[in-house]
Amino acid sequence: MKLSDEARDVLETSLRQNRTGARERQEIDALIAGLPEDRVLLYKNVMSNPVGDLPRYSIHIRLQHMLTFVTFLTLAFTGLPIHFTDSFWAGPFNALLGGVNVTRVIHRTIAAVMIFSMLYHLATIILGPLRQIGLGKFDLRRTILPQWKDLRDFRDDLLYFSGQRPQRPEMDKFMYKQKIHYFAAGFGNTVMVVSGSSFLFPEFWASVLPAGVASHWQELMRLSHPHEALLALLVIAFWHWYNVHLAPGRFPMQWTFLTGKITREHQMEEHFLEYLRNLVELPEERRYLRELLDSRVLDAAARAPAAAYGADTP
Amino acid sequence: MTSNRRRRHIAAAVLLLSVGYAGASRAFEDDENCLMCHKYPMMARVTDEGALRSYYIVPEIFARTVHRNVPCRDCHTEIKELPHKPVKEGVTCNTVCHSLKNPATGQPFSHKVIYEVYRDSVHGRPKQANGPDADKPYCITCHTNPLYNPAEAVPPEPIVKRCVVCHEDRRFAERWYNHTSRRIREVRRSSAEIVALCSSCHGDKKFVERRLQQAKSDGRALGAKFPYAIESYEESFHGKLTKYGFRQTANCLDCHADASNYFKTVHEIRPSRDAASPVSAERRLQTCQRCHTRADANYVRLDPHPTSRPESDPFRHWAELIYSVIGNVVIVALVGLAMFETFGRRRDGVVWHLRDGSSWWRRSKRDRDRIPSPQGEPKDEDQKP
Repeated sequence: MKLSDEARDVLETSLRQNRTGARERQEIDALIAGLPEDRVLLYKNVMSNPVGDLPRYSIHIRLQHMLTFVTFLTLAFTGLPIHFTDSFWAGPFNALLGGVNVTRVIHRTIAAVMIFSMLYHLATIILGPLRQIGLGKFDLRRTILPQWKDLRDFRDDLLYFSGQRPQRPEMDKFMYKQKIHYFAAGFGNTVMVVSGSSFLFPEFWASVLPAGVASHWQELMRLSHPHEALLALLVIAFWHWYNVHLAPGRFPMQWTFLTGKITREHQMEEHFLEYLRNLVELPEERRYLRELLDSRVLDAAARAPAAAYGADTP
Repeated sequence: MTSNRRRRHIAAAVLLLSVGYAGASRAFEDDENCLMCHKYPMMARVTDEGALRSYYIVPEIFARTVHRNVPCRDCHTEIKELPHKPVKEGVTCNTVCHSLKNPATGQPFSHKVIYEVYRDSVHGRPKQANGPDADKPYCITCHTNPLYNPAEAVPPEPIVKRCVVCHEDRRFAERWYNHTSRRIREVRRSSAEIVALCSSCHGDKKFVERRLQQAKSDGRALGAKFPYAIESYEESFHGKLTKYGFRQTANCLDCHADASNYFKTVHEIRPSRDAASPVSAERRLQTCQRCHTRADANYVRLDPHPTSRPESDPFRHWAELIYSVIGNVVIVALVGLAMFETFGRRRDGVVWHLRDGSSWWRRSKRDRDRIPSPQGEPKDEDQKP
């Protein structure tokens, strides 16, 4: 495979940052040269462990996901029956946890836990990169910050889905979907904390805002809290759960949030640039790839598609 | 009105069944023998408007109500002879009782004091009211003739025993017990009951429409939230928590009745345009501060009756509309993207389940399939020939 300029740059950066020796460089170059031009053939032919092969999330990120998971569902469970008082399910749902006398305490307590997890996450995303900078291993492209490339990736991915492009774009550790989702969640959390505080401390907000704005602000917060909660719940139910549970290849679930590892085929398909870094950082992954290339001819042109399946199919 | 009466009659009948004849021996004193006729359950008539009116008195039940010691004609003053003529005005609650004395003053007892307070309020009206006043409540709209301590069939024996040592007349001791214990108990309506009571008129669209018309023809302004008083309260946190039976949040009376003496001030509700009203511009802050102790001048601008109706709050109306549009667009777009993605990847041969090390067991529409290993691989049922 001949790497694109972009991928080559990512690889070179990683080689430099890891102070990779000349012999290993040679080994990596040889491996990459042996990859098929059609990346699809590569990820179609690797072996993947469903619980994950390659490192992706640190224990902190996994803990934060767990905290978000638990607090979000509990907050939705205790909050939605209060917004939708008129619905048939609101009464029974509310009664399940002991009625408003109990759920209002739960809601506020769990909200405090949620704020803690936000602060924990802030510490992680500040201290983590600082440490990487200290080690000389920081690469902005490897972070979740949006870049112009994401727009291009999004367009290219749509072209692939519609059949007008042979492969998916070479995406980085965080692809466009993850960046959208991450910033939506960050924005949503902030909205929930601010609007929630305007219910808990309306006197404070009224006293700090100008007289002409106080009422509009409170109305906006009264709308924002339930709307944002509902939107978040629907996005989780219809999109996030699709991405990590229902999507083909991810069903019945992706184990990354527990194991911190991503499957090899997933990494190659959606995060190819990160896979190149894996090749630099993980000698065992290089060994695996060498064995794969030695055992199979990953060249579609060399064989007719029908012949490839001829042996197994009627 | 008609259905209210009918409901009350049904309630009386149900009470009769449940109480049975347990209290028959303690029926009230009927010195003038009104029960001669009114003891018959069929004592009723159908009015010209077609409403059934029962004149049946159940002695065993009346004997347990708060008015049991009041002779009939103390209230039914129009009745002068037997059999009596049809009554015109009926019972008014400001009548002076001739048989009962106020033990504190020695004067005949009357509800006149609270009646005058009520007549002076925005709800005040004469007993027989026509036209716009007919929409206002009279005493019996909110108050019936309630039972003394309905949960107690007889006063507790240990207490009565102690009383009768000096007050030898056992009946005096029991009456005194009933009178005081009822007042010591919490007899106020719960928040949810207060909201339901106010809603029975203020939540009625036709009532609201009539009052708006009346105010217009009188050339007087109604409160800004009058048309949506109930729906906007139910939209507020106060309303939602009250609906779940939470008692520490404001119900209608907590803001609209003065805090000085609940039992008196609930009868003197005034419109917000009246400076004496606790929700008037002058007194609103003080009213908020009863619960929101840190409230300041800005705080009273927060809307206790939020509504998205454009004529009431255009800002909220548009904000809600924009939120709804954004929410719907986001969900449709994301679900659309997910389906498009599934379609695109399925064409290239992905299967749902990662098994035997791969998710790519199907044949691609693009002539590039997983290449079978020389050692042979498990066959997949998803794979097309």
